[in-house]
Amino acid sequence: MIENPYIPDLATINEIIVETPTIKTFRVTLNDPSRMEAFRFEPGQVGQLSVFGVGEATFVINSPPTRRDFLQFSVMKAGEVTTAIHELAVGDQLGVRAPLGNYFPYESMKGKKIVFIGGGIGLAPLRTLILFMLDNRADYGPITIIYGARTHNDYCYKEELKEWGERKDVELILTVDAGSPGAPIREGFVPTVLNEVAPKPEETIAITCGPPIMIKFVLQNLVKLGFGEKEIITTLEARMKCGIGLCGRCNIGSHFICKDGPVFSLAQLNSWNYEI
Amino acid sequence: MKREAGFIPKDGWNAFLASLAKRFNLYVPCREGETILFQPYHAESVICLDRPAASAPKGVIFPQSETLFSFELKKKAEDPRKVDVELKSEGAPQDTAIVALRPCDARGFSILDPVYMDVDPYYRSRREKTTIITLACPNPYPGCFCTSVESSPADKSGSDVLVTELDNGYFLEAVTEKGRTILDDNAIQDGAGYKEEAEGRQKAAHDRVKKAFSGGKKVKISQERLLSDEFWEETTAKCLSCGACTYLCPTCYCFNITDEQTVNRGERIRSWDSCMFPHFTLETSGHNPRTKKAQRFKQRVGHKFVYYPEQYGDLGCSGCGRCIRFCPISMEISKVVAKLSEEGEGSTKDAAEGARS
Amino acid sequence: MNRERLKEAVAEILPGVDAVIAYGQGFDAAHGEPCFVTKKEELEGLILNPLCEHNLASYLPSRKNKKTGVVVKGCDSRTIVQFLQEGLVKRENLVIIGVPCTGVVSAKKLARALDHQTVEEVRFEGETVIARTPRGEKRIALADVSPDKCRTCRYPTPLIYDVLVGEPIESDKDPAAVYDDVRELMGKSLEERKAYWEKEIGRCTRCYACRNACPLCVCQDSCIAETRDPHWQSQRSNLSEKMMFHFIHAIHLAGRCTECGECERACPMDIPLGKLKKKINMDMLDLFDYVPGIVCEDKPPLYTFKVEEKKIEEHEL
Repeated sequence: MIENPYIPDLATINEIIVETPTIKTFRVTLNDPSRMEAFRFEPGQVGQLSVFGVGEATFVINSPPTRRDFLQFSVMKAGEVTTAIHELAVGDQLGVRAPLGNYFPYESMKGKKIVFIGGGIGLAPLRTLILFMLDNRADYGPITIIYGARTHNDYCYKEELKEWGERKDVELILTVDAGSPGAPIREGFVPTVLNEVAPKPEETIAITCGPPIMIKFVLQNLVKLGFGEKEIITTLEARMKCGIGLCGRCNIGSHFICKDGPVFSLAQLNSWNYEI
Repeated sequence: MKREAGFIPKDGWNAFLASLAKRFNLYVPCREGETILFQPYHAESVICLDRPAASAPKGVIFPQSETLFSFELKKKAEDPRKVDVELKSEGAPQDTAIVALRPCDARGFSILDPVYMDVDPYYRSRREKTTIITLACPNPYPGCFCTSVESSPADKSGSDVLVTELDNGYFLEAVTEKGRTILDDNAIQDGAGYKEEAEGRQKAAHDRVKKAFSGGKKVKISQERLLSDEFWEETTAKCLSCGACTYLCPTCYCFNITDEQTVNRGERIRSWDSCMFPHFTLETSGHNPRTKKAQRFKQRVGHKFVYYPEQYGDLGCSGCGRCIRFCPISMEISKVVAKLSEEGEGSTKDAAEGARS
Repeated sequence: MNRERLKEAVAEILPGVDAVIAYGQGFDAAHGEPCFVTKKEELEGLILNPLCEHNLASYLPSRKNKKTGVVVKGCDSRTIVQFLQEGLVKRENLVIIGVPCTGVVSAKKLARALDHQTVEEVRFEGETVIARTPRGEKRIALADVSPDKCRTCRYPTPLIYDVLVGEPIESDKDPAAVYDDVRELMGKSLEERKAYWEKEIGRCTRCYACRNACPLCVCQDSCIAETRDPHWQSQRSNLSEKMMFHFIHAIHLAGRCTECGECERACPMDIPLGKLKKKINMDMLDLFDYVPGIVCEDKPPLYTFKVEEKKIEEHEL
């Protein structure tokens, strides 16, 4: 009898952090302690969260595999399922089908300089890899994080941003689309700030995630800055249902965003003529 | 030793079906008004073998809607504001048989197998419990193009038994071990003596099927045309996005998963969906990567003739022609593939203009 | 039906529009198909004969602001009138070529009459269809293979057009006969009707071809059969879900359905969907003296209300 990939694990919410007016972070543990203990995943992999009676939606596993006390998911309230998730409280149960998809090719990033470019909730998948790299600090070169949101109230992981800003081995550049009086943050759209920071492409990997329009311009600017297609990594989103490459929705040609992604290099996207 | 070939005289056919019905949940092509469709067998069934059924019997193994699991929400005794969730999986399928489907229908199952067998326990358990007894076609029907995809009116792939109609009876060939078990029946005569006649009929039928495009499984799709927006816009101008093609198709397998709940219990069900519907890929943000019917039809044709072959090494279409026969605006997938394939002469622009005819 | 005159008319309007929607030869000799003409060279491929079953007006709302020419029969022109009543198309974007028609062939009925044989050739001589299959030639009366709507057609001449290709034709059909088949069904007992519809709708595969082919179906992505907000219907494939979808669809078309028959034509399971819509139209005629798709300036009755409705008895306040 083969394993049933459609049945989620039951999990309980341990903690909820309100990041912004529309984004909440949920820390959950699987109800079955042996499954929680045995749960393994790679940075970048995703999970389908179920609210029974409403449906499922896909979120990156936000916590790194080096910290497995709980599984973290950040959820932006947008549609039916995310609204239902936002209405859950600590102690409530939901379903988790994870890990799904591929992961950041961190092995090939060892010894290199890393530039993270994120916008809004796009910081969620980047956080997984950032923490993973910080937990394996010696394996990676200097880390630069460029992160922007509409206003500073829309930043996710405000506590961690503070920690990363204080580290000597991480360069953190924060920006906002529109500045607010009194807040000492740089103003400018993320792609523009990227051009201003102008990271050098030599021995550097660039990883970006955020709203599609931001990713589009960031990719263009990275290419102009001299980054190779294989050194530019991003994550894609689509309407997903099965999460295992069967239901036919999320494919780009013969590749499924749920199964062969969501992590892709620009080289892959270009070879498939995919336009963001 | 189990027989490889059997024979049933014309007047023994009904008894054969009745005896199968004792051992299996039997599905047969029944006539209802002017429509032929697969329905569970019962003694009063009006069985029609004149022409293929309107829809493929795909739903017997891959149901139109099925419960993946049910859930029940129970309030916790110690804190009624909290609920416990209980999940239950459905029971096992019974022994089933489908009789008198056509080779293109059976081939449809062999196209679905590599997708689902090793991943999907629901499909797998039904497939393992189903015996497929296929009826070879004596001639092509409007729209048929099975030989273009290297299938044939007597293709055995996906079948357990292949039945060929002769003047005075039916010739049965065992294709698999399950098939041999079916032929292991005292009511079925030895068929060895009819083999030659049957093969003659099969070949004659094969030769009558017109080729829509050449290259068979290796049909070379022009990358330039596949990626040409103009080609797809011209091709799909007349498409209504009605979706009938996908629901009748023996190889379409896109599905939806929805939760259906009443008060404190419910089910998560899988149901057929169609890549031809505008909202198939609609995201919560409002963005839709396939908002135009040109993009959706490109996905349908691309899936069957490019993406599925890249993943599984075979064409994802069995050439049954139903989508052509039932399309309200005569969209011909076989013609589109012919235009897409590198044998289509001229530039992409010419092909795009030709696509409108 | 004069093909040469049609070609002339299309050639004349072609320069002024983005495309002309006309008829071409379908996938075999027994089918026509819609054809989007943008170049003079394509005129040769046009057909104009009883294979021209399709309602080409269906494409008009999605053409948006593109100037479009379209070939319509009488029944199709009612769809355009209904579009204008509801503001779904702009008159100034349309160039309408009207074709007076005495009846078309239902491809499904023709296939039945020919025992579903492969059709090699189809010719028309007056009111006779001559079809050749591997079994030989067969002569069939056009009236025997026409869609039901042709038998009771009251508008053989298009009600709206810029160019008329052919002489106007007067209807010789009894207007009361339009709903004869509905009255026959209504004459049966409730149990008989329930059994009838359960059998017919039982074949439905929820493919939504009827809905998507319907020119007047406007809910698009918000169709009640599939939305989750409000969540009226599940995706289960069972009889009650199918009945609910079909009845709601018919009610959404109350006072709007022009009986063009596309729903029945598109249905791969031969479900007599037209009867549901005709029943409601019959009631609308009775209640509001209203026939959809006739006068451009009309408004469908369910779009408006009168404080005192002539035929609806209200309780005294």
